[in-house]
Amino acid sequence: MSTILKIFVFPAAFIIICLGILTILGGHITPGGGFQGGAMIAGGIILCVITYGVEKSPIQLSHDFISTVESVGALGYIFLGLVGLFTTGFFLYNTGTDFYHLIASSIVNIFHYPDVTNAGIVPYLNILVGLKVFVGLSAIVIAFSQFRRIEDSD
Amino acid sequence: MLSLGPIIFGFIIGFVVGLALNKDSTKNKTRFTKSSFAVILIVAVLVAWQLGPFPYYDDLPIATGFLSGAMGMIVGKVIVNTVN
Repeated sequence: MSTILKIFVFPAAFIIICLGILTILGGHITPGGGFQGGAMIAGGIILCVITYGVEKSPIQLSHDFISTVESVGALGYIFLGLVGLFTTGFFLYNTGTDFYHLIASSIVNIFHYPDVTNAGIVPYLNILVGLKVFVGLSAIVIAFSQFRRIEDSD
Repeated sequence: MLSLGPIIFGFIIGFVVGLALNKDSTKNKTRFTKSSFAVILIVAVLVAWQLGPFPYYDDLPIATGFLSGAMGMIVGKVIVNTVN
């Protein structure tokens, strides 16, 4: 790629990733959410991979990093669901808001998202989905970009 | 009332992404030095101010999640550079 692209793309990817984070965090009050924001973050990473190549990209995702973040996203989602199941009998019950007054206020305070909208665990679910999607989509594109190399080596 | 949610979790998500920022980008002809990141942070502040806050978040006139995400990415990169 040209030098102009290499100068421009990383700062642009940085801003795109920050916009993805903003989209994840606004999922409970504005259009967007975990998947959309995660896809935007992955878009910034993919832009760097396409422009600089996998080896020289300023944003490099190792196998351990991808597996760790993906596991945290999936297991955290399950954990929040199980908290609702064990405390109320309903999987993914909104323990941070407790609309039906089924659980103790101490548990509600633990899972309450600290903002003015009383959204409960919904922002946490968005964040966990966002983490999972951003590493998942990035891993797919990184894997696709390496296929030609595997064919050449065969 | 200050909404801490987007500030805290924006920083955490940015930090996680920042951990993936590679230290050894010097293999490229184009290097991103500390001054480059200072310029990127200034641009991020301007973009956050232009975006404005979410609905119902009337505490600050900027997008706090955007700005804390940018700071988290830079802090994550600094920590990776320090450790490696």
